[in-house]
Amino acid sequence: MTTTRRNLFKLTGGAAVGAMLTPAPWRLITDSALWSENWPGIPRPRRGEVTFQFGNCSLCPAGCAVRARCVANQPVSLAGVAAHPLSHGALCAFGIAGHHLPYHPGRLKSGPAAEANQAVRAALGQLRGAERCAVLDLRPGRTASWTYRRAMAAIRNGVYLAPAAPIAINLAAAKTVFSLGAPLFDGWGTPGNVIAARDHFRLIQAEPVESRTAIMADLWLPIRPGSEEALALGIANLLLKEKKIAGLPAGFADRLREFPPTMAAMHSGIGEQQIAALARELQDNGPVLVLGENGSPYAAALNLILGAPGRTLVLRREAPVPDDWKKAAPVADLASVPDGSIRVLLIDESATGEALPWSAIQSKLAEKAVVVTFAWSKEGYGRQAAFTLPTAVYPESLDDIPPAVDSPAAAFRLSAAWVAPPDGVVNPADFVAGLAGLAAKDALQERAAAIRKSGRGSLFVPSSATSTPARDVKPDDFWKMLQAGATWIDDLDANAPAPKLDVPALPAGTASSAFPLVVVVTEPDTPALVSPLLSKVYQESNLRLAPESVALHPSDARACGLETGSRARLETDCGSVAVNVTVDSDVPPGVVQVAGGPGIRKICGASSRARVVRS
Amino acid sequence: MTNPNKPVKAARYGMAIDIDRCTGCGACMVACAVENNVPPAHAGANDRKGITWIRVYKVDNGGDGDGRRSAFVPVLCQQCGNETPCVHVCPQQAVDVDPATGIVGQMPERCLGCRYCMAACPYHARYFNWWDPAWPAGMEKTFNPDVAPRMRGVVEKCNFCHGRWHAARQQATAEGKPDTEPVAYLPACAEACPTQAISFGDLNDEAGVTAAAARGRDSFRLLEKLDTDPKIHYISKREWVRRIADAPRPGDGKESRRG
Amino acid sequence: MRIPGYIPFAVGALTALAAGWAAFPHAIYQSRRQPVDFSHKVHTTTAGQKCDDCHAFRADGTFAGIPTLDKCAGCHAAPMGTTAAEKNFIDQYVTPNREPQWLAYARQPENVYFSHITHVKLGGMKCETCHGSEGDTDSLRPYQQDRISGYSRDIWGRPAAHSAFRTEGGMKMDDCVDCHRSHGLTHSCLDCHK
Repeated sequence: MTTTRRNLFKLTGGAAVGAMLTPAPWRLITDSALWSENWPGIPRPRRGEVTFQFGNCSLCPAGCAVRARCVANQPVSLAGVAAHPLSHGALCAFGIAGHHLPYHPGRLKSGPAAEANQAVRAALGQLRGAERCAVLDLRPGRTASWTYRRAMAAIRNGVYLAPAAPIAINLAAAKTVFSLGAPLFDGWGTPGNVIAARDHFRLIQAEPVESRTAIMADLWLPIRPGSEEALALGIANLLLKEKKIAGLPAGFADRLREFPPTMAAMHSGIGEQQIAALARELQDNGPVLVLGENGSPYAAALNLILGAPGRTLVLRREAPVPDDWKKAAPVADLASVPDGSIRVLLIDESATGEALPWSAIQSKLAEKAVVVTFAWSKEGYGRQAAFTLPTAVYPESLDDIPPAVDSPAAAFRLSAAWVAPPDGVVNPADFVAGLAGLAAKDALQERAAAIRKSGRGSLFVPSSATSTPARDVKPDDFWKMLQAGATWIDDLDANAPAPKLDVPALPAGTASSAFPLVVVVTEPDTPALVSPLLSKVYQESNLRLAPESVALHPSDARACGLETGSRARLETDCGSVAVNVTVDSDVPPGVVQVAGGPGIRKICGASSRARVVRS
Repeated sequence: MTNPNKPVKAARYGMAIDIDRCTGCGACMVACAVENNVPPAHAGANDRKGITWIRVYKVDNGGDGDGRRSAFVPVLCQQCGNETPCVHVCPQQAVDVDPATGIVGQMPERCLGCRYCMAACPYHARYFNWWDPAWPAGMEKTFNPDVAPRMRGVVEKCNFCHGRWHAARQQATAEGKPDTEPVAYLPACAEACPTQAISFGDLNDEAGVTAAAARGRDSFRLLEKLDTDPKIHYISKREWVRRIADAPRPGDGKESRRG
Repeated sequence: MRIPGYIPFAVGALTALAAGWAAFPHAIYQSRRQPVDFSHKVHTTTAGQKCDDCHAFRADGTFAGIPTLDKCAGCHAAPMGTTAAEKNFIDQYVTPNREPQWLAYARQPENVYFSHITHVKLGGMKCETCHGSEGDTDSLRPYQQDRISGYSRDIWGRPAAHSAFRTEGGMKMDDCVDCHRSHGLTHSCLDCHK
């Protein structure tokens, strides 16, 4: 037989027919399909024993109790603790995915710790005259905050700076809540507590935008943007009716005269009749709580007039501290520091709280000031600080969470360290304590011991969902249980006097053509990092406005030459930040709706004035 | 799954979602993605190409200024019970209705990605993996082992957290309970909702909270006129919300027409 | 002599048939050895253990599967016998605290859900029914893995002679479906898939 092309074709043909009659080709096809479903690009879940561990969420001061479902000791999902007396089982969208934060791509894993230490010590050695070393603590009230205060007392010219803590609120005591734009249902207080108390009070929300809180309110007053002052003073006029109340700031009476009810109606767009009805309701349906933006003088004034101190505003004792800690530096306000006097500034922004604008800080810095910030990412003060040192993120650190604004009694609870942090992270309290030669590694345990020693309060244990008086818990067990997620809640002090309510001075008239838009904040303050899964609500749906984004009415957007997706800068008199623009006809004209990310909140709050310019 | 001598009582798992309690916080959306290993958005994803097994929509009454009112409506797979549209059209039989639970189960491993089911679903509750799923490095450690991640090119949707259903049945067996009663469990969204607006349970259990809420006067379902018999009931005292769902109250005289 | 024209065709066909039926099943599988030469027989006879001493159920009903190193190290912190295999195990795994990467014959693909406790407790099934006489062997058989899909031979692939030799047991989807059908159990896809 010769090797002809024909024979070759016959051979091949035979082989093909033969092959079709074997399992081979069919098996190859199915195997390829299986291979394509299993290529290494798709990661697989780990197997392992499922356990439940408890802790508390430190992403915001609410400190909601968390139950973590863990596979081989790695948290894979988080949920609330249903019977918890403070959080009632609620966990917000950010807290639910908090266990992703250690793996966030923007999270810092190492930093110039040695250089920062050197620079700080060198600067401390060169402090002359009245130059100060300051710690700026954005979430005061923690045990770390006490470490900072003790360290600053030990360092020459040490100063501890923190934003003023708001007066504690007893929401359960309120029968009527009048909110001037406060986001009661979206990032205020403890979500579970607000929801649990909701059925017991009537909520009146005065806000230019129909926010989530406005949707849930019993009555929404769609006031004109920036008219909170007019409405509040109009109501104050009706409530006071020539009465005099002690404690109102200078110039209040003059300002009152500018806003009789007719003027209030004209400015706010709410009818005079309705304003009168509102005033009557606030007078008759007490106890009343008036809420506004943090530090709002209008809310404070109305609270004073309506007798809230002692009823819905309460004096809250702090959780006990060891006696020898009390020789610590006092809490000072940034404004009280002379300009240009801070030579070393250490900022702890690892625990989010109220943001301070950089412009306010900058004026206090001396020439050649050394600024070190402790943060999860570079997006906060890292943009301006000389050194950014990474810290452990929420699921990696054992840290205490001070009580939230709506907790009438003190609470001591710890976030658990479920995941090991990267090697390069720095503990800010240890860093600062080291500068002062203070041994503070066991501060949390010492604080727990002091709390237990006081005999006050009760301990809620999440695993058994039971509360026990603290003095019935053995001291060793007390610390162990706190580390396993238990919450200590102080007894309510029945004989506590009413808190002293300081009404801040009313701001000067604000209308400025340079900043034509009124800022309305419609998203909660988010921590510096949020789980990438928040894209579900930011990008894959239009449920929430993403951090560092603004929304404008079509006419305002047109006037600024912007459209959805434009990059722009949001500018206020405190600074500017880069933002993404969304055009939304739901936004009232004259308003710029902003999300609450770290950059934006440092330059404005609700009712600030701003402009948006194309980048 | 059981001793054939002991008949199993079939469950019909469903939900009663109280729209008047929904604050639009989005906790349910995030909890669902955490539980089901849904990847974070690809750079090109938007609200039409993203994957949100449960999605909260904002609806309003069409009013202006003072008269405007809004509400939030969480929409997920309605688990249609009658002539389930997606089951009908799938050329691969990659989705089926479980007679024991009523759950419409999507099997991404059988799916070939034709997206016919996405066209058939009247509730837009099905989502396609346009891109390879990608997670930031290390985040795969947080996967839930009870749910398999999907690949690019397949459709996925809510399965009422059947991984939790499996775990609940396994736990009941371990505790020695008989397998004849449907198990009680909570899907991730119902567990996460801070206001407890989402109630989940067996609609066949007349005495249960969910079934009772579903029978209430204020309860309605989306697109009733399509006769899909969905198992998700919505509750609202506000008339305009019911109107949006095209859901007249029974006995109103407005006949629901097939169309 | 003139060779008939159909010979090349027949030769091609026969070669392909032989390759497909005889050679292909061997070639498609890659044989891998287990990391440790473990003898079940020694542990069940000499050590007197039962299956569930190591392969146990947890309180929530999940199955522990192949035991982790701490179970083995509980007894084998020091050599208990004289075999080289045990010494090797202690040197390479116990001492450096390294988990052996066992190759599980029955490991199902990621999208499969199987509940051991349902089958053992409710179904009253014995280990041997599906796993065969694994517990009596003196050494672990080689792990045969499909070269393309990566699946174990036990869980995927149609055996050459199909139902004629099928017995109860086996780990492939067809085996599960057959057994469920023959017992009149309802099955929906989500019963076994996740």
